[in-house]
Amino acid sequence: MSDDPFFIGWSPDLHKIDRRFLLLATFGLMAGGGGVAAFLGRQGQPPGPGIWDQSAIAGHSGLLVQTPWPMLRMIGDDGAPQTAFLATTGKLAVRLAANARGWVKVRGSLISRGENRMIAVDDGHWLGASEGIEPPGLRDWPEEDLGAAHLVGEILDAKCWFGAMRPGYGKTHKACATLCAKGGLPLAFCQTGSCGSGVDAPLFLDADGRRHGRDILPFIADRVMAKGRMVRVGDVVQFRVARPDIHRV
Amino acid sequence: MSHDYRVVQWTPFKKTFDLWLGSGIIVFLAAHVASAVFAFPPDQHASEVQLALRASGSCAFALLSLILAIGPAARLSPRFLPLLYNRRHMGVVCFLIALLHGGLVVFWYHGFSGMNPLVSVLVSNSEFHSARGFPFETLGVGALLILFVMAATSHDFWNANLGPGLWKAIHMSVYGAYVLIVGHVMLGAAQGDEGFAWALAVGISAALVMGLHLGAGVLEARRGALMRRIVAEGWLRVGAALDIPDTRARVVSPPKGERIAVFRDGDRIHAISNVCRHQGGPLGEGRIVDGSITCPWHGFQYRPEDGCSPPPYSERVATYRTRIQNGIVFVHPEALPLGTGPGPTLIGGASPAPSDCSGEVRDV
Repeated sequence: MSDDPFFIGWSPDLHKIDRRFLLLATFGLMAGGGGVAAFLGRQGQPPGPGIWDQSAIAGHSGLLVQTPWPMLRMIGDDGAPQTAFLATTGKLAVRLAANARGWVKVRGSLISRGENRMIAVDDGHWLGASEGIEPPGLRDWPEEDLGAAHLVGEILDAKCWFGAMRPGYGKTHKACATLCAKGGLPLAFCQTGSCGSGVDAPLFLDADGRRHGRDILPFIADRVMAKGRMVRVGDVVQFRVARPDIHRV
Repeated sequence: MSHDYRVVQWTPFKKTFDLWLGSGIIVFLAAHVASAVFAFPPDQHASEVQLALRASGSCAFALLSLILAIGPAARLSPRFLPLLYNRRHMGVVCFLIALLHGGLVVFWYHGFSGMNPLVSVLVSNSEFHSARGFPFETLGVGALLILFVMAATSHDFWNANLGPGLWKAIHMSVYGAYVLIVGHVMLGAAQGDEGFAWALAVGISAALVMGLHLGAGVLEARRGALMRRIVAEGWLRVGAALDIPDTRARVVSPPKGERIAVFRDGDRIHAISNVCRHQGGPLGEGRIVDGSITCPWHGFQYRPEDGCSPPPYSERVATYRTRIQNGIVFVHPEALPLGTGPGPTLIGGASPAPSDCSGEVRDV
């Protein structure tokens, strides 16, 4: 071999200088690549403490309500009423007959984040009559105006944020959140900085406490400024905002 | 070379290269996933699918940046040429990792709804007029399609059948794919909580790739400017014959047409096109090995006297007439018909007769 190093890929000979250089370059690239990967992997907020154990399917007795989204009013372990929204296991709302209401039993797996709950209903016959007796107090929905609110944050689908996705917010999740919203799942609002680690996200409704229309879709998962009122209805906090009061930041 | 086609023409170097490539990818993916898992409390890390799609996306971008950096790095220092030799394997692996990333995104973010997931990728967001809301996924789809075409046509079969020019043009679209991916990240992940880190990583990578290309371009321009000295009767001045290192070349840029590589082989001077017929490699940066001009990229060889690959191969590059006056080499920029050669010019002596691809000596 000549002293003039010249690499020929098909040749079995590889100059010693080339070999040494390539080994150093390879180890350098692997160490550098590993470092960059480790740096990128740990970026961002934690996805949050949402939990969804799809194998833990159980029956949940409660009062079925259809507006603003299908939900079940149940009695919690502490004896106080608590709300669990209803969804399918996918990105679609449950389909209910117009007259479905009252004391029922729902089979499904629980998605929870802090005090937020949602039941992903089981396939097949997930809705039936409950064998128990409806406890008193579930039909009382005291409404309390918590005052005006002017918040910057993100409109997101509650199911993913509660724990169906981890993380279930942000730009990369925009398409998923939009599909969930189109599918009729509940919307919520998280404030910038607390979408990842926070456990509080009020439901997002129009100024009259009803669902927004499809004109809300372009704003989903974008950073927006919203001006409206916070209202507590039972154990659920709602952020009521008229569509003209939502602005992309 | 062009004699026959196998799926992969394995050499010991390619096997070693692929082994290290696979190890590097495993290290990258493992480091990405492990750091994401251990950075947060045990019950608060991202879901397995989201960990995998983030890691695969990062890995594909890093690999593509590396692939694009190798070319100019090899122009700046021939020590990087071994990395270039097997770059196509990196390209195919990059496509597969990008495909994994895209597949997971389609499955996870666009599945489980009433809409076809593939349709959803294209129609779920139409905010093309908004930087904040821009459907960055469409840019990723475009890049993935380009990478697919490149991976599918990466084999020498396509190079030979499409022709080097078209093949090269198709594969230059990698720069388009890179731009799309930079946009995909900047309008996507870089707008999230981890935006600064992503913008930083992508910005540094893109700046490195551009810087290396600019550096290689400046070097090329300097070489070209030095050699672009036209003298009477259209002959180009190359320089002193003995200043050309033995078995190496000097490259001159004619006013039009391909660059010309002027080689010295002992006391003989030969001139051939600087463009290898395989992938357009710079023959002038190669060397004469066992009597043949050898491309630095993939080792394709051409006989200096007639520009033909030695049998059984069939590639041919153009040759050019040379002359020496007062120890100075000149080359005429008009290419001779493919497969013919003028015969070498001897330093300080008479020149042998011209020859052609069959090896026969022609009458002058």
